[in-house]
Amino acid sequence: MINILLITFAISLIYMGIANRLSTVINILAVQGIILFGVSLIELIQINTINLIFILFETIVFKTIAIPIFLNNVIKKNNIVREAEPFVPDFASIVIITGILLGSFILSNIINVEHVRKMFFIVAISALFTGLFIIISRKKVVTHIMGYLVIENGVFILSLSAGSTMPMLVNTGITLDIFVSVLVLGIFVNRIGNTFEEMNVDHLTNLKD
Amino acid sequence: MLVYYLIISFLIGVGTAFNRNQTVRIVLLALFMMVQTSVTIFAYLHLNTDDLVYFKYDALGVIFMCVLTLLSFTTIFHSHIYLRHRRDDSRSQSLYFAALIMLIVAMTCAYLASHIGLMWVFIELTTLSVAALIYHERTSLALEATWKYVFVCSIGITITFIGIILLSFGMGVTVQIDFSFKALQEQLLLVNSSWLKLAFLFIIVGFCTKMGLFPMHTAAIDAHTAAPPPISAFISTTLMNVGFVAIFRTYSLFANTAIQSWMNQVLLWCGLISIIVSAAYLLTVKHLKRMSAYSSIEHMGLTAIGLASGGIGYFAAIFHMILHSFVKASVFYQIDQFHRNFGTYMIGETGNYFNRNRAGGMVFLLALVGIIAMPPSGLFVTEFWIFKAMFASSHFVFLILALLFLSVCIYILAKNFLYILFNQTKNLIPAEEKTAASETWSQYFLLALLFYFGINPPVQMIQLIEEAVKNLP
Amino acid sequence: MRGLGVILIIFTSFFFTGIVFRTKSIFSGRKGPGIFQPMKDIWRLFQKGNVYSETSSFIFRIAPNIYFASVVIALMLIPFGDQKGIFSFTGDFVFFAYILAVGKFFNIIGALDTGSSFEGMGASREALYSLLAEPAFFILMGSFALLTGYTSFYDIFSSIHFGSSISYAIGALASFVFVLIAMIENSRMPVDDPATHLELTMVHEVMILDNSGFDLGLIFYATHLKFAMYGAIIANLFLTPGKEWFYSIPIFIAMQILFAIVVGTFESFMARFRMSHNPQFIFALTSISLLIFLTVLLIVGKFL
Repeated sequence: MINILLITFAISLIYMGIANRLSTVINILAVQGIILFGVSLIELIQINTINLIFILFETIVFKTIAIPIFLNNVIKKNNIVREAEPFVPDFASIVIITGILLGSFILSNIINVEHVRKMFFIVAISALFTGLFIIISRKKVVTHIMGYLVIENGVFILSLSAGSTMPMLVNTGITLDIFVSVLVLGIFVNRIGNTFEEMNVDHLTNLKD
Repeated sequence: MLVYYLIISFLIGVGTAFNRNQTVRIVLLALFMMVQTSVTIFAYLHLNTDDLVYFKYDALGVIFMCVLTLLSFTTIFHSHIYLRHRRDDSRSQSLYFAALIMLIVAMTCAYLASHIGLMWVFIELTTLSVAALIYHERTSLALEATWKYVFVCSIGITITFIGIILLSFGMGVTVQIDFSFKALQEQLLLVNSSWLKLAFLFIIVGFCTKMGLFPMHTAAIDAHTAAPPPISAFISTTLMNVGFVAIFRTYSLFANTAIQSWMNQVLLWCGLISIIVSAAYLLTVKHLKRMSAYSSIEHMGLTAIGLASGGIGYFAAIFHMILHSFVKASVFYQIDQFHRNFGTYMIGETGNYFNRNRAGGMVFLLALVGIIAMPPSGLFVTEFWIFKAMFASSHFVFLILALLFLSVCIYILAKNFLYILFNQTKNLIPAEEKTAASETWSQYFLLALLFYFGINPPVQMIQLIEEAVKNLP
Repeated sequence: MRGLGVILIIFTSFFFTGIVFRTKSIFSGRKGPGIFQPMKDIWRLFQKGNVYSETSSFIFRIAPNIYFASVVIALMLIPFGDQKGIFSFTGDFVFFAYILAVGKFFNIIGALDTGSSFEGMGASREALYSLLAEPAFFILMGSFALLTGYTSFYDIFSSIHFGSSISYAIGALASFVFVLIAMIENSRMPVDDPATHLELTMVHEVMILDNSGFDLGLIFYATHLKFAMYGAIIANLFLTPGKEWFYSIPIFIAMQILFAIVVGTFESFMARFRMSHNPQFIFALTSISLLIFLTVLLIVGKFL
């Protein structure tokens, strides 16, 4: 069952590569939150209940509900145009994401993972690099944040694969998530929206030689 | 002791954030500095003891804590002058100092942490407090720099977290892993080397963000350009030291395993490319603080090369970081005065600083000698040792390339500094306000330390550094 | 008997497209034409004469015939549950893909032969979409071949067992990808709208603008046959061997009707994608089939 959820997660990464509108990407993030909820429920059923409830609570409330609502508000309040403007043409981006999936598969075979299930490793590493790619290839600041959230999801999956023996690791990951998201999203994005009219990275190029 | 330190600093920080009275603020800051100094002395006297389970006063942490405390004094002094001249309102001043206190506390704890997870948490805290400080001027340039800094550092810290998770995978998930450095070191010898390589790579890339080495140097450059000068001084020295301590601890963690020569290669390449990058950018730089930021990157590159070369290189790397902190701090403090004199940071629009502000110009001249590592400067000694270590470990190609690009950097630095000091070809607007010569005493003190330590370093410091490197091969 | 599959496919092709149209009409609130209406149209076309333009050559005359012939040959490869197709040999799915490609090639050059720039535009788009959908098909069949160890349609379908939950997942995903490939190959939404006649947005329709009479009838009927053929392949995934043929036939017909309704539903509820968006969508199918392939690799345990 976990494998099915992880495959769905990988498909959501592919879909993110071809998504054009910002609201589609936010929906994908919400779906990823639900998938992570399912995976953590199945994986961590053995650890003590308080921890489990905390983790489940965090995935559902934070990743699935709070962050998408917040992102939607940011987009509405700053009147951001609803298309994601990429630097790279869409076709190339999906080729690259496929390449990333293939690459992480090959990497997992080279490293010869014994202790952790391969599926977790592959999906986590693909999420990491896909998130990085989304950050690099898009112009809008909001999509940078979405790429960062994808990276966070990848880290979460990676920490889940050892989660039943080391719940502290998962907790630290969640703390990172909440902390940085609250700071980054909560404070700076609105500032940027107030200071610059159009939240493009093109406008953030004044600091140079 | 550390418990008291944390509680008292927390209270002082909260008090500073809410207080609006100037005298109360000075009193609170003095109180904080007393606490900070006493912790430093306590740490020195109780070397190699554990405190609060996860912290340890080991030699490396103590050395850098002393540097941190010294620089905190000067930074707070210069921050007062800076804020007074900007005529900021009381609320933003309170926030500034509260963030500064949080930054100092977070850095102290990061130096002392003996548990890799805890060190990671405190480094994250430094990022957050520095963000508030960089944004102090509230211009769009500052916003841009803060955004880039926070974002790149967040990504870096996430990558480090992945590295730590991978490390725990490599060690097997059947048992609860003790993440303190001592326990990790023994367990690492049993791990498969490809796991070690992967984990090392991820952890190092994350910490390179803090230290300013090649893949992630961009965060540091923009932050140092747009931050207020006393803060630039602080983060260009002590924060990069935090990154160095993190990388050093990681290096010593992996040092006795099979991947050591590979690690050295990675660090050598990172260091060399940092020097090349800074040389390339220095050729076209026009902004004075940006130039100093690039020079910091170059010195970090040298330190990484020294660390990777082994032998006397370890000693030289730590010593280099300490001395570089002194000289870079004095440069940035002086840049603040420079800015008040000219009203701009652009090199091309200034000149003749030597005649406009004799004391300040002298500081620049001595700092130039210091930073390009000419003989009375202590940096000369450390760079010489680094090159000797490179030669001894047969990294000839790296040595030649490093020397080559270092010469380019030295040329640019000298050219620009001499230009702003002695160029008399333009008619410049006279300064609006005279900067008092008394503001420069801190910089002279730091430069004196630089030159004195080069010739005759104190025995206690040498002992501490040797203690820190004694476990490395 | 070995021809049972072919007979069944021809039988279902009579009403397949009719069901699609009927579903679309019902969803739009209309009553819609009868189920056999497309066949009546084709019968009407068969009785008409052909008009050939003077700029076209012999290629334009033979292209529809070769297209129809290729579809019929491909039809004969499809197995039906327990029985092989009329032809069955190792690697026959490769032959299947390429005989269809021969038909498509002649369709394309027939369209280019007319000298009209519209038809050239449609032909180039059709070629691009087939190009992008081909790796998806091959990787999908390749993963099935890896999973079962055989390389012929009949052998693959008879030895797939759906045991663990992950093979169900793969089966479901594979059928989803296959349905989408079928819809692309047959020029339906969301890639191509068969009802539009705006030159900017036509893909398949524009290639047959110049055909008339008997040739047009052949081409239409070949499209129906292709649709039913893809439906038969999907139905085969669910027809496990060992069932008696009188159970398999109703299941087969039911699957085909279900497939037709699903296609109709898709078409009613999805708008056609923006033209520039199509290549990435089709390539996404290749990515998903690559994902299936990697999962199969993990299951089978063969690594690099």
